[in-house]
Amino acid sequence: MMRNMAYEALDFYDIDSMLSEEERMVRDMVRDWVEDRVIPNIEEACRDGVFPDDWRKEIGEMGILGAPLKGYGCPGLSYIAYGLICQELERGDSGVRSFASVQGSLAMYPIHDFGSEEQKEYYLPKMASGEWVGCFGLTEPDYGSNPGDMITRAEDKGDHFLLNGAKMWITNGTIADLAVVWAKLDGEIKGFIVEKGDEGFSAPEMKGKHSLKASVTSELVFQDCKIPKNRILPDVKGLRGPFSCLNNARYGISWGAVGAAQSCFNSAKEYSLSRIQFGHPIASFQLIQNKLSWMLREITKGQLLAYHMGKKKDDGTWIPEQISLAKMNNVDMALEIARMSRDIHGANGILDEYPVMRHMANLESVKTYEGTHDIHNLILGRHITGIQSFTREP
Amino acid sequence: MGVAVLIKQVPDTTSKVSVAGDRVDESSVSKWSISPYDEYALECAMRLKESGYSEVVAITCGPQRSSKALTEAAAVGADSLIHVHVEDSLDSIQVQTLLSAAIKRTGSEIVLCGKQAADTNSGSTGPGIASILDYSCVGVVSEVSVDDGVLVATRQGPSGLEEIEVSAPCLFTFDKGESELRRPNVRGIMMAKKKTVEALTPGDLGVDLGESAVIVNSHSSPPDKPPGQKFEGVSSIATVVQKLRDEANVI
Ligand SMILES: Cc1cc2nc3c(=O)[nH]c(=O)nc-3n(C[C@H](O)[C@H](O)[C@H](O)COP(=O)(O)OP(=O)(O)OC[C@H]3O[C@@H](n4cnc5c(N)ncnc54)[C@H](O)[C@@H]3O)c2cc1C
Repeated sequence: MMRNMAYEALDFYDIDSMLSEEERMVRDMVRDWVEDRVIPNIEEACRDGVFPDDWRKEIGEMGILGAPLKGYGCPGLSYIAYGLICQELERGDSGVRSFASVQGSLAMYPIHDFGSEEQKEYYLPKMASGEWVGCFGLTEPDYGSNPGDMITRAEDKGDHFLLNGAKMWITNGTIADLAVVWAKLDGEIKGFIVEKGDEGFSAPEMKGKHSLKASVTSELVFQDCKIPKNRILPDVKGLRGPFSCLNNARYGISWGAVGAAQSCFNSAKEYSLSRIQFGHPIASFQLIQNKLSWMLREITKGQLLAYHMGKKKDDGTWIPEQISLAKMNNVDMALEIARMSRDIHGANGILDEYPVMRHMANLESVKTYEGTHDIHNLILGRHITGIQSFTREP
Repeated sequence: MGVAVLIKQVPDTTSKVSVAGDRVDESSVSKWSISPYDEYALECAMRLKESGYSEVVAITCGPQRSSKALTEAAAVGADSLIHVHVEDSLDSIQVQTLLSAAIKRTGSEIVLCGKQAADTNSGSTGPGIASILDYSCVGVVSEVSVDDGVLVATRQGPSGLEEIEVSAPCLFTFDKGESELRRPNVRGIMMAKKKTVEALTPGDLGVDLGESAVIVNSHSSPPDKPPGQKFEGVSSIATVVQKLRDEANVI
């Protein structure tokens, strides 16, 4: 198939040379898919506010969902490969990466690590193939950064559990076949699997987003929702459950943000070379060059951070605070780059002909979800000082 | 019986190709890909395999880098891989001789390849090999299927689609068809890693290349396209019509 110009992803320090052939091939497969299927259709998907079902199927066929998980039909790739997948998907659109992050890291991962053998065998193969979509219900209308105080409750009724409460801002909610829901059972947070069609469960879509428009965001409502006893995740309790899922997803975001930034950088570079003002390409002006070199610098640092974090994930020598830093830093730099790129495009920067405004709006969500920028600062602050500053309570 | 598919690694059609000194600068090519017409041949080979035609062997001839094209073929399902390793640039007959020897070694009597490569566009490899091996040759096909042991090729004829029945041994050269090369998936990529590339030198194939009959003097970039011309107002209609007729040859 013929395309206009090859996408040359910024790779100033030649991260490419550090990848295995398998990692490069997975990256190229996803890159080609994004080029062929996402980029030509993303604006329409955003206008319609839908995540096209074809994308779900094709992502499933590529076999990239739950990338680093092993067994039960999961890919068993390295964390570096998982990062590269996120990078390429998010170069297309943060909404597409969100779909894959939620499915893999937030829904498949807890079943894989905390589920019963029966749950793993039943759910994981269908989720790895994309046949079943999962979502992750932690945030509530009144508890965002502070999920520990959640209201949603589960009661043991002998032969079933009864769930009551509501979750909000849940990615994939309305299109999901199952939800991993965090709720308190006897005052302690536990994970439950709720399936579409369960009595007392509904997932109305939240409309009106100016960001992540091609991603479905929903409420999850539980009104005396009755689920069988075998739907509790047996092997985890407390905030460790949801937080360990978030660690994996946040790691993926640190790569995803690089992809969005690479896209904005490329657009700015091409635009500035072709836009003539005062008789010269604007790329020939020092102020523009300063902006481009700042972008190059920040993206390169972000790439090295993500790559090194990936190596640590693969070695198992990481601490969650390192992931906080990577997520926070890379989303922050990507958002700044999107804004700067928008500026370089002048008025054209606000048009949907260029990807920059869409990335910019998307990244505002990415800055907030999976732990807001400042929550990650507080996590690091606690790490440095040993003093938690989330709450005034001791 | 196995199906052999010949693939060539070429600069991706979206890559910029630049000339340094008097030669194409290969280091400036940002992306190397399987030549697009070969992709149609490869897809057809995979379909033949799915319709019960035993295994697919992918063969390439070229420098070290081109072994990647074989791994890519393996990722979409090619079973065995042969790399005829030559670093020098060869003329058409040398390439045909090497590939013919490699095909002979596999015993394949069905050979698929692109009608021309996206870089040199010479279109000589397929027919040349058919002639060396004394195979039938059906050119510029869009599809090959098997019907009761008979090979049926579809090609665009002067007045519509032609269907040609032919028996093996036969070589088919592929035009753009309906079926684009399937996308690889993670499982295919992981399997590809386990398949070994059989690397052969001309010597291994018992081929003495001799001297190339073709000497390339130099490469140069095509001249820049002349800049677009802009005409405004009713008064320019006559000029525009004349230019469309005499220069653009469109009316
Ligand atoms: C598009 C989208 C998709 C999402 N998908 C999911 C999903 O799939 N599943 C899910 O469970 N959730 C999801 N979320 C929810 C997301 O995780 C929360 O929005 C996030 O945790 C922040 O919570 P909040 O919005 O309630 O903000 P709040 O917690 O109310 O924070 C508001 C502001 O206060 C700051 N703040 C809060 N506490 C402190 C403090 N102690 N010190 C200093 N500053 C503080 C924050 O940094 C922020 O700037 C999604 C959100 C969005 C926008």
